[in-house]
Amino acid sequence: MSYAIAAYAITVGTLALYAWMLARERKRLERGGD
Amino acid sequence: MSHPSATEFDRVARVRRPLGGLLALLVVVWAWFVVSAPVDATQGVIQKILYVHPPLAYGAYLGFVITAVGGALYLWKQRAIYDQLAVAGAEVGVVFCTLMMVTGPIWAKGTWGHWWTWDPRLTLTLLLWFVYLAYLLLRSFTEGSERTARFAAIYGVAGTALIPLNYFVIEIAGGRSVHPENLERGSLGAGMGLPFLFANLAAFLAFVWLVALRWEVEARRARIAERAA
Repeated sequence: MSYAIAAYAITVGTLALYAWMLARERKRLERGGD
Repeated sequence: MSHPSATEFDRVARVRRPLGGLLALLVVVWAWFVVSAPVDATQGVIQKILYVHPPLAYGAYLGFVITAVGGALYLWKQRAIYDQLAVAGAEVGVVFCTLMMVTGPIWAKGTWGHWWTWDPRLTLTLLLWFVYLAYLLLRSFTEGSERTARFAAIYGVAGTALIPLNYFVIEIAGGRSVHPENLERGSLGAGMGLPFLFANLAAFLAFVWLVALRWEVEARRARIAERAA
């Protein structure tokens, strides 16, 4: 099970991190990009 | 170049926000399907990477197709939003492609005994990844130039030629490829269809959500840059 769980965790974890970074950048730009 | 208005951003955000809540729920159900799906008689538990690896491949293909469509629309209509869509498709596509190339070797190590082999499918996937990584590097080094946007649009359209080649290379290579054949109707074991379908749905929604967010980020950046100029 560990290989499949590792693949799932890497995938979801990376996508969540990427989404968080995009959301943070969107907020910064919404404030005028300062 | 014209950029989307604040109202247009709000309209996109109204769709994206509830989709984000649904996505958080789907990710949990996706994990449950990975755990509860039947164990393959030949490969054992490791075959459950099936519920992660191919959906990432489809997301990567889709991202690169969006880059081509956005690029073609930009060449035709000359509107910056299409170029921004092309960038969003390429970046999310590269993220999915990178994850596909991480999960693939995990599966390979468990079944073939080694992380990587110069198999035609694996080699072409690496090439596909390099092509779109180069696209993103080009865009990051030459931000805001209309000439770069035109060149990138042509590059993005041409790059899609690799997608059918990547997909059908196993058939083209005949028996020389060690990568499993493309999935067809009935090629999954009993009870694996629903988890696979659900995994694809969750990955697709994640893809759409990320492209929408990335597109908005790119459009906001361009609008701020234009105001500052």
